[in-house]
Amino acid sequence: MTHRSAGVRPTHLSADYVVVGSGAGGAIAAAELARAGARVALIEAGAWRQPQDLPHSILGTFGATLDQWGVSITRGRALWPIVQGRAVGGGTVVNSAIIVRTPADLFERWSSELGIDGLADAVWAAQDEIEAELEVGPTQPDQLGRHNALALAGAAAAGYPSHPTVRATPGCAGAGTCLQGCRRGHKRSADLVYVPQVLDAGGWVLSNAPVRRVLVQGGKAVGVAGRFIDPITGRPGGTFRVDADKAVILAASAAHTPTLLQRSGVRHPALGEGFRAHPGTTSFGIYPDPVDMVQGASQGWASTAFRTDPGYKLETLSMPPELVAGRLMGGGKALVDRLAAYRHMACFVVGIRAESVGTVRAGWGGAPVVRYTLDRADMERARHAIWTLARTHFAAGAEAVVPGVVGLPYSLGPDQVDRILQASLDPRHWVAILSHLFGGAVMGADPQRAVCDPRGRVRGVRGLLVVDAAVIPSNLGVNPQHTIMALSRTFTRRLLEEGA
Amino acid sequence: MRWILTRAMQAFFPHTDALPGLAEEAAHAHLDRLDAEAPLLFRLGLIAGALAFTLSPLLTVGLPLPSLWLSAERLDLHADRAASHPLYLYKMLIFTLKMNAGLAWGAQDQVRRALALAPLPPDPRTTLAGEVTP
Ligand SMILES: Cc1cc2nc3c(=O)[nH]c(=O)nc-3n(C[C@H](O)[C@H](O)[C@H](O)COP(=O)(O)OP(=O)(O)OC[C@H]3O[C@@H](n4cnc5c(N)ncnc54)[C@H](O)[C@@H]3O)c2cc1C
Ligand code: SF4
Repeated sequence: MTHRSAGVRPTHLSADYVVVGSGAGGAIAAAELARAGARVALIEAGAWRQPQDLPHSILGTFGATLDQWGVSITRGRALWPIVQGRAVGGGTVVNSAIIVRTPADLFERWSSELGIDGLADAVWAAQDEIEAELEVGPTQPDQLGRHNALALAGAAAAGYPSHPTVRATPGCAGAGTCLQGCRRGHKRSADLVYVPQVLDAGGWVLSNAPVRRVLVQGGKAVGVAGRFIDPITGRPGGTFRVDADKAVILAASAAHTPTLLQRSGVRHPALGEGFRAHPGTTSFGIYPDPVDMVQGASQGWASTAFRTDPGYKLETLSMPPELVAGRLMGGGKALVDRLAAYRHMACFVVGIRAESVGTVRAGWGGAPVVRYTLDRADMERARHAIWTLARTHFAAGAEAVVPGVVGLPYSLGPDQVDRILQASLDPRHWVAILSHLFGGAVMGADPQRAVCDPRGRVRGVRGLLVVDAAVIPSNLGVNPQHTIMALSRTFTRRLLEEGA
Repeated sequence: MRWILTRAMQAFFPHTDALPGLAEEAAHAHLDRLDAEAPLLFRLGLIAGALAFTLSPLLTVGLPLPSLWLSAERLDLHADRAASHPLYLYKMLIFTLKMNAGLAWGAQDQVRRALALAPLPPDPRTTLAGEVTP
């Protein structure tokens, strides 16, 4: 037996390496170690769902694959949801599998500001390999659907470059349900690509197994401990303990890795600091003809034309009616009347390359508490972004745009687009979510300012590594999965070299 | 409490000429599932939102009555104003109610049919639970 889940009996295992979290960072690290012949235990808080077991409904998605049922929120000026995967495969199960290579300017910034050198070539080489493993390719014309095609045409008419997204979804049928996970198995998520490699090599996978703490003895990480939970009801089951002869590798995400370190008694002045995100918000266009935005790839269009100035990226997003119902303003008949235009709506989204910095700390019961508020400069980026999106909608032929900011009219016509430039900059007047998270246990050369060294090793504890988004010391301005996977592979290879 | 919850949820998605509203059975099915599966915090958020909605018509339509006693027109106005109220924490409580109501409303077969979408089959459970080798 190599996969154990939700057991009621106490479980005690021993491995060379224990990897906590099976998302973008964790699964690839575990596979790398297993392929090198090490005994590996991969431990995941969420359930393991085969593609055919993925939910159809959004409520089912909340329960089956999202952390804290999708309702953990930032504390700060505004309460914004933090959306993360919680399943074998982590965020890669529910994300849109958009793959973007790490831009060179990031390595330059990390080198000059944080003393992190020698990463670029290794990360890019890993990205070459990962792109082949995930069968990455551009969204094909027949996968776009009208939704993404409108965005492409709108951007061209508005005069800025954009492209069909490059994704890890070979054979995508354009079902537009990436957020619920791909029931057709077209998404090359970590649970389908890397986790099986761990099992094939004789490693262990524990699911429904949230690690409570890392066990540290004599300044060295020696294992992890926790208690299984029932995948449906969340009720606690038996305890588990997994000993690590060589190292414990953390990849529980930017929200959970820092808090796991805190719960485990790791002390460092920068632990929980440096939390960052790409907050995302939406702009709906209302078109004369039906768009049917859930037909076509969920996120088949993107533009990075504004990544460095003013600092945001643009994408499409297929939103099912269950979510649009909560997103549009108002209630009662007014709201249902607005929803009557659903088939004519296209949803464009922005991810703000925010420079604002927050904190993540273990709160009541050890759960992460994220304090985070966007400053004025970031809110100006957000405002500029929804203005660009509105112009894109109109250039694509929309009759009206729903900007979704309190203080602006519910919808604007083409001659009113500049009113967006007067929109409030108070985060409370905006609805946004955080799904690209970074930091909390950042890497860097300065032992005081960085929890991890530039190889991901936690300072002050031997045999403890961080290989997920928590280690990333800045925003990226591009989708993070590829960078996280390649950093993880790089750190894991360096760990194996050290061991050898 | 069930009655208060379903009434509050339905107030956000009434039947209109263009689209079906949130049916009572759909609201119950949603709440049954939350009772069986959702974490306590999720359920408490919904209850707090429903109570805030039920007890606050004074804030929105100037009437010191629970929303259960409002006429259909007043209830509709209450739902619309509550969802965009300037008191941020109140609005966020109302949002938890509206979000839940929206999840239940948008998953209904009649609504999906009206929006040219196929009905949603029942959600499967994970088959990889217990002590198994996949
Ligand atoms: C809806 C959505 C769409 C996205 N779209 C894209 C996209 O198209 N392209 C892209 O590049 N990025 C995308 N992202 C972001 C990307 O998925 C994340 O940045 C990435 O998955 C983060 O990787 P990670 O390893 O840090 O954490 P995760 O992938 O979140 O994995 C962490 C895992 O650790 C588990 N865990 C947490 N605590 C514990 C514990 N105590 N014990 C055991 N396990 C634990 C979690 O359950 C989770 O499975 C998207 C994210 C979301 C939510
Ligand atoms: S768009 Fe649909 S078919 Fe394509 S990968 Fe996403 S869920 Fe699968």
